[in-house]
Amino acid sequence: MGSTFMGLEASKRGLTTQQSALYTTGHNISNANTVGFSRQRVNMQTSLPYPGMGLNAAKVPGFIGTGVEAQSVQRIRDQFIDRQFRQESNKLGYWETKSNAISQMEDILSEPSDFGLNTSLDQFWKSLQDLSTNPENAGARKVVVQRGIAVAESFNYINKQLTDIQGNLKNEIRVSTNDVNSILKQIASINEQIQQIEPNGYMPNDLYDTRDTLLDELTTYFPIELEYSKSGGNALAIAEGTVKVSIKTNSGLVEVVNGKDAVTLKADGLNNDNSFEPFTQFTVEGKGNIKGGTISYSDLDKSKGKLLATIDSYGYTDKSVTTGFYPEMLKNLDDMAAAFAKKFNEIHGGGTDLNGDVGKDFFVSKTGSPISISASTISVDSIFESEPSLLAASSSTGKEEGNGANALLLSKMKFDPLTIGSATNTTVQSFYQSIIGKLGVDGEQANRLAYNSATIKLTVENNRASVSSVSLDEEMTNMITFQQAYNASARMITVIDETLDKIINGMGRVGL
Amino acid sequence: MRITQSMLSTNMLRNLSNSYNKMATLQEQINTGKKITRPSQDPVVAIKGIGYRTDLGKVEQYQRNLGEVNNWLDSSDDALDKVGLALKRVQELVTDAANDTKTPEDRDKIKNEITQIKAQIRDLANTKVGDKYIFSGTKTLSPLYDSNGSILGETGVDGAVNIEVYDGVEIKVNTNGKTMFEDIDKMMENIESSLDSSKVPVATGADIGKYLEDINKNQDSVLGARADIGARQNRVEMMEDRLGAQEIIVTKQLSANEDIDYEKAITEMITQESIHRAALSVGARIIQPSLVDFLR
Repeated sequence: MGSTFMGLEASKRGLTTQQSALYTTGHNISNANTVGFSRQRVNMQTSLPYPGMGLNAAKVPGFIGTGVEAQSVQRIRDQFIDRQFRQESNKLGYWETKSNAISQMEDILSEPSDFGLNTSLDQFWKSLQDLSTNPENAGARKVVVQRGIAVAESFNYINKQLTDIQGNLKNEIRVSTNDVNSILKQIASINEQIQQIEPNGYMPNDLYDTRDTLLDELTTYFPIELEYSKSGGNALAIAEGTVKVSIKTNSGLVEVVNGKDAVTLKADGLNNDNSFEPFTQFTVEGKGNIKGGTISYSDLDKSKGKLLATIDSYGYTDKSVTTGFYPEMLKNLDDMAAAFAKKFNEIHGGGTDLNGDVGKDFFVSKTGSPISISASTISVDSIFESEPSLLAASSSTGKEEGNGANALLLSKMKFDPLTIGSATNTTVQSFYQSIIGKLGVDGEQANRLAYNSATIKLTVENNRASVSSVSLDEEMTNMITFQQAYNASARMITVIDETLDKIINGMGRVGL
Repeated sequence: MRITQSMLSTNMLRNLSNSYNKMATLQEQINTGKKITRPSQDPVVAIKGIGYRTDLGKVEQYQRNLGEVNNWLDSSDDALDKVGLALKRVQELVTDAANDTKTPEDRDKIKNEITQIKAQIRDLANTKVGDKYIFSGTKTLSPLYDSNGSILGETGVDGAVNIEVYDGVEIKVNTNGKTMFEDIDKMMENIESSLDSSKVPVATGADIGKYLEDINKNQDSVLGARADIGARQNRVEMMEDRLGAQEIIVTKQLSANEDIDYEKAITEMITQESIHRAALSVGARIIQPSLVDFLR
């Protein structure tokens, strides 16, 4: 036989449980717009029935229910969708960053346009044609010199701007690495808090959410692998435990967070200045029970994560070969400037100036050494500015001021076959077209893949929101459900109150 | 699938942002008149654009060169025409003088005119276009005859001045005057001396008449040079036509390659605008109401 007040107790449990469900509803509504928040649900279950089981338990027919209790508050989330989401944001991180780096390069090269390198080469070509028709004209000579300077300056300008962006990319690698380190530290600290809460039988849902948001952020930088381990003690079966985070590399997993310990990553050799030092590896500084080590460039998983995209753009050394998107473009321009200057000087040296002397080098290196002509050092020997008569427009060894045959040869050199870098039998024009073409194709690919992965990520994000995000209509419906259940429990108490009133005030008053 | 308010608003934002992106691209196209502004939008268009620009620049330059060619050829032709006229007068004078009835005074008069014509022809040999002497070969800054009447002997005086009028096509624009003018000059001097009345023995009419043959020869060489110029002028005209056609073709290609079709772009813009308006109004309707609005 149950106790007198059992009904009151059962209904009281009803009241408190519905109340906690109402409060959770309120919590959900309040966080409807919180980034990373997953809606929460109070898992209700019937409390232990009367009588309990055992040899000397009271003998009554069947069990009598004793009401409800809030067993746990659980966040609604799907780990498989999380995994999918992280894979996609990994790809998106890579392509978005790459597309950004390419678009900056496109801005600087500004082709096709009327003020790119090609235009300045075209104008130089035109001025040489004018010189070939008017070799005795000092004005035509001055124009050639100025146009030559414009070509050299175009090379210098493009080189300078690209190098500046490369410097920014270097800084970005360092800042991103610091970001990653900070995220790792935060994850470890949340792990620690979770470790302290879970053994008491609580579910730190909001901490889980924060941790998941951090993991989402981390995956934009690196591909990661997660492993959860239970906290001991009185932890609930559905508690998530602490997470072990590892970076996925081609040579296996590199542990970066384990429990309350997090490693620190450092991009080796990248100093705090604007000079180019190719990326070689990350040094992992171990902490606690995580061992340190290194992650070299070839270990990094291809086309994954913002950091790799930045490194790919900035430049890296892999198996003692230095390459990368910006270094390649810079090298191409260097090769082009060098081949262009060499060929031009060669033809110029085959002609004669107005004084009947052999043409001296027109393009020289700013650093003085003629071998080191590159996009950054190419310039026009300043003597031509003061004495344009030194331009060797003539093909004759005598003083023939009306002979423009060599100027004509010079004008043709943009279209003369020559060797530029490793490209043989190309011309300045077609070589330049080919590097712009490659830039365009790379950019197109990066933009397309960035768009595609953004679309896929959005789909996955919607899937995740479909499971975890707050629907106000749903919460309002729940609110009414819980409110009515609360009201009904209260009404139940009134009923029991009335029955007890019968016993206490209405019974044993025979004859009164 | 369970749909929540945050999904609705995320989707709506994404749709609006896509729509803005498309409008921005169209706006840029309409503002610049170009399909692309960066190689990644269409690499093929980009590299073709670089090539066509260079081609167009070449055509413009060759057209400019042709102006120079015409200048040379027309001036040379004009000068040689005057040389021809001068020789005709010489022919008349010599025919007149080749007559034994002429008095020494008559011959002196004729001789004076011959002397003048000789100087005139020398002046024609020193014809300048701009600051260039056109009959001095590549020694364009030196006159063919100096003030003492001695002819330029330096290298280059027989040189050819070539101007490029198309890829690899060069036209010789000058006419080598040295031999021709030298021959004429020598003949003029001979005529002059045979008309000299103080000369002993005085030349007979037959002696003077012999020069008519020389005059003919020199007239022929001047005519030959003019015929040559005429032939080159024909070539130049043909080249002008070709370059004109080429200019139209390249401009067309450049335009077809990268210019937008305004009708198409504006229509797309208007379509996009109505899609955008629809997205905005539908979004506003979907986002607003929730159960909250209907619960008391």
